[in-house]
Amino acid sequence: MSKEKIKESNEADDLQQGRREFLKNVCASSVAALVAAPASAEAAVDPANPDADVTVAEFFQGHFILMSDEEKKQAIARLEKRYSAQYGKKTTVSDVPAPEGVLFGYALDISKCIGCRRCVHACVKENNQSRHDPEVQWIQVMKMPKGNISFTTEQLDKGYPEQSEFGDYGVQVGGNAYKTAGFSTEDAQNYYNDDLVPDKDFFYVPVQCQQCEKPPCVKACPVRATFRDHAGVVLIDYNWCIGCRMCQLACPYHARRFNWGEPNLPAEEMNPKTHYFGNRPRMRGVMEKCTFCVQRTREGRNPACLEACPVGARKFGNLLDPESDVRRVLATKRVFRFKEEYGTYPKFFYYIG
Amino acid sequence: MDSLHKSSKIVVLVLCGFLVGGLSTYGIAYSAEEKPAEIKSTQPVTDCFESRIGYSSVTGVESVDSKYGYPNVKCSQTTGAVLWWGDPFYGTIPMGEMPEITDDTRGDFANAVVKPREPQLQYFNMGPNGCKTCHDGKMVPFPKGNKPRLIGMHQDIVENSLKLMHGHGALWCLNCHSATNRNRLVDRQGTEFSFNQPQKLCGSCHGENYIDWRKGVHGKRIGSWATGGKKRWWVCTECHNPHTVQATRFNRLKPEPPPALPRGMKNANYERVGDGEH
Repeated sequence: MSKEKIKESNEADDLQQGRREFLKNVCASSVAALVAAPASAEAAVDPANPDADVTVAEFFQGHFILMSDEEKKQAIARLEKRYSAQYGKKTTVSDVPAPEGVLFGYALDISKCIGCRRCVHACVKENNQSRHDPEVQWIQVMKMPKGNISFTTEQLDKGYPEQSEFGDYGVQVGGNAYKTAGFSTEDAQNYYNDDLVPDKDFFYVPVQCQQCEKPPCVKACPVRATFRDHAGVVLIDYNWCIGCRMCQLACPYHARRFNWGEPNLPAEEMNPKTHYFGNRPRMRGVMEKCTFCVQRTREGRNPACLEACPVGARKFGNLLDPESDVRRVLATKRVFRFKEEYGTYPKFFYYIG
Repeated sequence: MDSLHKSSKIVVLVLCGFLVGGLSTYGIAYSAEEKPAEIKSTQPVTDCFESRIGYSSVTGVESVDSKYGYPNVKCSQTTGAVLWWGDPFYGTIPMGEMPEITDDTRGDFANAVVKPREPQLQYFNMGPNGCKTCHDGKMVPFPKGNKPRLIGMHQDIVENSLKLMHGHGALWCLNCHSATNRNRLVDRQGTEFSFNQPQKLCGSCHGENYIDWRKGVHGKRIGSWATGGKKRWWVCTECHNPHTVQATRFNRLKPEPPPALPRGMKNANYERVGDGEH
């Protein structure tokens, strides 16, 4: 064996040794972290790096719905401690369950909407979305040319092959292949920046999560991180979400948003009243969407977008209560649902008042 | 020839002087126009309008909520509109007695609150007596009839009193304003109403909208979503101006800024390419 060869093998041994030691250290530290996990939740949080102590405990946390009461309490305490340190103010994370005997529904008057986007920004202020890079907004206001909406028989029958003298051998393309019933999203402008609204010859359609009774996103989720609660609202356990974005693909309403980067939420703008499934600050790589302001509506208050609307186009309430605003709208106005041919049965209704 | 050359040179020089001078003055004027806007945008907006500019406004107060340190409202820094309500019942009073209607139109008024409109009467005359400061029967005599005539006063409210188009010209000032008590509204039967309850007057003609409003289908309400819960109701005149309703049904507003464009996109002109027919 030449000198060089010996030197090489020694180096290889050293490397091997180094790898072994490294693995040993990693194992030891992870075991220590596992053991220390419950204890670290009690420890003080370093404001400079608030995630350091709690990430391990949060990492091994189960699905919130399947947790025992004790585990839920611990998880909430961990989060409250971390958020309070991180944003420098007393933050509460609620886990109030949905009220019994209630099915939440929403109605929006597209003849009144003026497209002022106040609902969009009210939602951002309430729900602690990332303000920039990435900018996350749960409501999208579409500006549509008038005439885009039609329920006439002529419009609905469009798309069928014409009867020929040799019989009806045309390929059936199914109902309305070229124009859908109601409004279509073709010609919609999402980035309009007019000096004054409403613009002549246009109408406006705000779109947010439609809280479907048959939600395709829930079917698509491989880990059941998103689910429908018994008040009919589709929610997400952000800690259980793996960020695969299957639900975003499944949603026909473009209602779900993904945190591509670490959310940028200034401490002074942070809303300290939060809910576990609602507006608590999210992390990078999880999905989020409209929850009908679960932190407000479960405690009896109206959603933030409704309170911001200057024309009173938005109505919210209990679909099981015939005296509620939404039921009154359903009973007396011309109501339709967005993309109802998909069979998702949204609980978000559009009406013409 | 030389003198001609000289004079033409002088003309050119003078013209150049005008050009330079004009550019510099334009620059000064342009910068003078630009500067106040920059200063305005850095100051936080605390006095914001609720529904429509000039109809009702609210002043921001810090830490109204003791538990979370909420302000009463959060305003838009770009348009000055109220975006977010920390305390939905800030500055409200009970709505007061409402007529009982036993059919489907009955409203849920047990916990109804409104923002009082009467304090706005002081703005015009700066007195505690409101409109009565001048309209007391002596300083301004009570009018005899309700025949339309040209009025020299209050042109900020109605520009030309002969062209008041509410009710397509069938109505005039004293159909709604009490002739003898100018701090009150009056209906056709002579019943007087407070400015805090314009719905009783408006509803006497606009019955369809009044029914919808009582049911909760028309108009805005914030607070609790539950039937029987405490709610703040917006009254008619917080959104509609009865004096200009024929000319402009709603004053147009400046919208909030659009969402950020996706990364790599320079503008959203593609959206407008298909504007119109396909």
